[in-house]
Amino acid sequence: MKKKSGSGFRRAVLAVFGDERRQSITIPVFAVVLSLLASAVMLLALGKDPINAFLGMLRGCGIIPKANYAARTGMLTDFMSFLNVLAPMIFAALAVAVASKTGLFNIGISGQMLFAGFIATVVVGYSDLPAAAALPLVIIIGIVAGALIGGIIGFLKYKFNINEVVSSIMLNYIIQYVVSFFINMYYVDPVSRQSMYISDASRLTVTGVEIFGMKADLPLAMLLVPPAIIFAKVLFDRTKIGYEMKSVGLSRNAARYAGMSVGKNMVLSMLVSGALAGLAGVAYYLGYFNSIQPGVLTSVGFDSIAVSILGNYNPLGIFFSSFLITIVSKGSTYMSSSAAIPQEIASIITGLILVVSACTFFIRTKLARMSERELESRRAAEAAETPRPAVPAADDDSKGGER
Amino acid sequence: MSEYIVEMRGVTKRFPGIVANDNVSIAIKKGEIYALLGENGAGKSTLMSMLFGLYEPDEGEIYVRGEKVTLESPAAAAKLGIGMVHQHFRLISNYTIAQNIVLGIEPKKRLLGFLPTLDIKKANRDIAELSRRYGLEVDPTQKIEDVGVSVQQRVEILKMLYREAEILIFDEPTAMLTPQEIEFLLKIILELRAGGKTIILITHKLEEIKQVADRCAVLARGKLIGVIDAATTSTREMANMMVGREVETEIEKKPANFGREILKVEGLTVKNDDGLEVVQDVGFSVRAGEIFAVAGVSGNGQIELADAVAGLAKTSGGRIFLDGEEITHASVRDRILRGMSYIPEDRQNVGLVLDFDLAENLALKSYFKEPFCRKGFLNKSAFEEHGNRLIEEYDIRSGQGIHTQVRSMSGGNQQKAIIAREIELESKLMIFVQPTRGLDIGAIENIRRQILAERDAGRAVLLISLELDEIMALADTIGVIYRGKLLKTAPAAELTSRKAGEYMMGVSA
Amino acid sequence: METFISDGLSFALPLFVIAIGGIYSERSGITNLALEGMLGMGAFVGALAVVLFTNGAFAGEFYLAMLFALLGGALFAVIHAVLCINFRANQVISGVVINILATALAAFLAKLINSAVFGQNSNKFQLSTAPTLGAIFPGISGVPVLGRMYVFVPIILVVALAAWFVLYKTRFGMHLRACGDNPHAVDAAGGNVARTRFIAVIASGALSGIGGICFAYYIAANFSPSIFMGYGYLSIAALIFGNWRVMPTLAACLLFGFARSGGYAVAKILELPSTFSNLIMTLPYIVTLLLLVFFSKSNRAPRALGEIYDKGKR
Repeated sequence: MKKKSGSGFRRAVLAVFGDERRQSITIPVFAVVLSLLASAVMLLALGKDPINAFLGMLRGCGIIPKANYAARTGMLTDFMSFLNVLAPMIFAALAVAVASKTGLFNIGISGQMLFAGFIATVVVGYSDLPAAAALPLVIIIGIVAGALIGGIIGFLKYKFNINEVVSSIMLNYIIQYVVSFFINMYYVDPVSRQSMYISDASRLTVTGVEIFGMKADLPLAMLLVPPAIIFAKVLFDRTKIGYEMKSVGLSRNAARYAGMSVGKNMVLSMLVSGALAGLAGVAYYLGYFNSIQPGVLTSVGFDSIAVSILGNYNPLGIFFSSFLITIVSKGSTYMSSSAAIPQEIASIITGLILVVSACTFFIRTKLARMSERELESRRAAEAAETPRPAVPAADDDSKGGER
Repeated sequence: MSEYIVEMRGVTKRFPGIVANDNVSIAIKKGEIYALLGENGAGKSTLMSMLFGLYEPDEGEIYVRGEKVTLESPAAAAKLGIGMVHQHFRLISNYTIAQNIVLGIEPKKRLLGFLPTLDIKKANRDIAELSRRYGLEVDPTQKIEDVGVSVQQRVEILKMLYREAEILIFDEPTAMLTPQEIEFLLKIILELRAGGKTIILITHKLEEIKQVADRCAVLARGKLIGVIDAATTSTREMANMMVGREVETEIEKKPANFGREILKVEGLTVKNDDGLEVVQDVGFSVRAGEIFAVAGVSGNGQIELADAVAGLAKTSGGRIFLDGEEITHASVRDRILRGMSYIPEDRQNVGLVLDFDLAENLALKSYFKEPFCRKGFLNKSAFEEHGNRLIEEYDIRSGQGIHTQVRSMSGGNQQKAIIAREIELESKLMIFVQPTRGLDIGAIENIRRQILAERDAGRAVLLISLELDEIMALADTIGVIYRGKLLKTAPAAELTSRKAGEYMMGVSA
Repeated sequence: METFISDGLSFALPLFVIAIGGIYSERSGITNLALEGMLGMGAFVGALAVVLFTNGAFAGEFYLAMLFALLGGALFAVIHAVLCINFRANQVISGVVINILATALAAFLAKLINSAVFGQNSNKFQLSTAPTLGAIFPGISGVPVLGRMYVFVPIILVVALAAWFVLYKTRFGMHLRACGDNPHAVDAAGGNVARTRFIAVIASGALSGIGGICFAYYIAANFSPSIFMGYGYLSIAALIFGNWRVMPTLAACLLFGFARSGGYAVAKILELPSTFSNLIMTLPYIVTLLLLVFFSKSNRAPRALGEIYDKGKR
């Protein structure tokens, strides 16, 4: 790095990212911008127009208008459909955040979603209960079923010291195959090769409502989003349980020393995390969809990890990052068909965002060191009214990475 | 050719937030024992870490044998014949002594004539020979995790000698040793000098400097205060130089006034993760107004003993009573509520949640009670009031008051915060483990006074310390622990530090 | 009985070579959940080499695939190494992130290359079947088990032996294991912790790549994104039972392999319909969970595993 431009560059970087309190916003934004730039380069290399591709995503989500619409559909149709995928994403990302507060990594969201969705489908979806009874029941069953799986993972960790990442992955596969077995054995729709459709009364989506002459599917699960976000926020910041969970996550030894039950808190956070994942599951399989494709786990469960990290495990941050990642994943379908770009690029963008987000800690310490050095050279400059040269800062630049 | 084997000229080293060394210049002659004296944080270790190649100076130059050198790694330092015994040993616990010593310069052989492999048999022979030559007996085939601290230190010294180091740096080598072991080590150091080696001794113990050093550089707050002749300077002068003011060496201790029995331990046995009994059949009692101190060399079960009394370690035998009630199987929380405070050895990883702010940490043991918590919801203003009051009363200094992240506070203030929190619990029993470790003289004095004040206020105090001086200064009753057993329990007045040292090494007379 | 044994081995040994990769990385102190991504990307590169460089009639196809899978896995592992060592990312998060990225990349690139080079709309690369010992040495084709054994079984055993030798008998191996116990000691002894760990992670990628391409040949005789079946995580479970040691890990892998082939054998004997294969597929995972219940407590992970190494810290 050249000395002169180095310090100018440093000042510019610090002007944008220097404020420590704003870093929880500026750094994720930086991650997103960097990944979008990288994907733009990739698209250019493929000979595609990146701007058009990104606009295509927004169009697909009903955020900006498409050139033309089929009869009796419009932006609202797309936007409602977008909200319908957004809701499960938010629940799933909150689930990741709850587990992470106690230092656990719930990578089993997809499995918990599938299990909750399957149980609710079989118990309520195939019944002839009226909507007034069916809908609350779907929600309750989803929450309980998800909590059950989450609780098992927490219990295995607490009782047998089994790494939660390994056990949740194992449970993911077990659930995937077992559900697949039952669907293929008993509930398969011979035409679609998926599970049979659930009753309209049990679906968390009111289909075909006409608003301003546009037909839209109203996502009922979206109504639960604000309460879920508030619940998580209050839990983390204002409750005894939240305080204990954070203590356990930050320092297991200190928590034990303070008389908290580490095991109880881990199981509890996995129960809550699983419950939120279960909610995501019913919103996904009995809301956005109305049947289950056997043999696959939804990518929502994995994308939600990206969302959660990007949102800094903060409920409000998660709301915004869900919005963003869902635009990428949901909008990619339309982008793909309108601009002839492979849809898989969406997961690559998500992946890139994740990779940059994983370096958040590094970026933070790097920034801290930068502002430290800026302060120093400023002090040196002030002291150097005398002709003595200032400390060359570029020297330690090259070594910063080792420490 | 310079008369100095090592010269550091105008060396400055900065870390985020502090200047660890500020324009320090020292020069060391070949074949002398050169001491570096200073309080914690004075910059002794940082200075030597630069000579050892762990850090590079921001400014200044280093000369070895008259030539200017850049030491970008310990390997570079080793090539110049510089070796260092760190305060925290750098050993691989699941490797043998020989494997540890040869690590990095292992003898090789060719298996089947071509496959390069380690020649561990040759290593074992070489180490056995080396250890005999220097009088540092070790068994090369033993694993590090199976040997005690003083043997581990021998391994560190042998590591340097195996590399044929000429300049030997010892960082606080006596901190964990008994008086007898210290004597042995100092003898070895003198012998090494006689063998032509140059020795740099980092320490804050004045007597040791008097005993062995030729010259001594005094550091304070990163700056070099002066270089003195060890033979002609009194320890008192050294201490004043190091601290920068008159030091009170004695703390006043009122006569004891014992009350009823508060803590009673009977036949206590604790097993570690490997199923070994690290505490064996230990029994003692502590009365109100009494300081019962457990003396012993590190790793003899004293930490496990404290953890078992506090409920953090499982007991496999014996019983514990607090104020007459059995608490052997009570939970940690239950013990706290019944009246037990605990200042743990590891203040950063156990005593505090480093990423919480000061207010949250000060409420770590009372957050679940009124007024901090009502019906499961926290009352933030109660946290703040409580935090502000303790900061005021206990003089806890921090950058942003109660909202300071504890991680960013100095070790002394972290310990102040823990002690404030634990005293505020007004417990019948207070357990202090290594309460002054790593703190500077001012803080040490202050904490020792607080411990005495708690005793005078009628609390029972269980003090566990590796520093015999501290125990001698504070204890009313001393129990010496060796390999998990309480070898000797006696009133402090009946035990000299020499005698206690003998018990600490397992010599039961 | 013969299928039981050969299927068991064909599943267990690729798992084993991946697990050895994991042992390399974790014994050096770097948690590696990215094995899944590495094996998949390794298989992708191996299969890509086959479809690009051969036209389906090349006798050495399998060995070519293996070589490129090794390189591909190693190359992809650089990401994990850079994130964990240079950028000091949380190693668990890095691993999971890399797996997600690998799944996306493999699907995207496979589709892209198929349409750009071959004009097909597919995300699969067709491979032939792996050669058997009997096909190479016609003399033993009649010998039970041995004759129908895939050639990768003995190859992996040789690789495993070499990996074991390097880990326990050489200077490099000694430094590697030391890095996982006390990196400060290695640093003080003049070793280079970052470089040793970097090499260890790259080695884990290379070994995972080998395992990945064997799975591609054995399970499907093609490469497709469905290579991401959790085998990487299974091998992590295996090395945890194996207590991060090579030989016990082999035993764990054999157990998984035979649990799976045993399940299929029983299903065949009972003449169960094919939908039951879904249930049999769960066997290795269930066995894993059960074993973890019994073995996790007594396990001792490398002491410095997952810790970010900071030279300055004492």
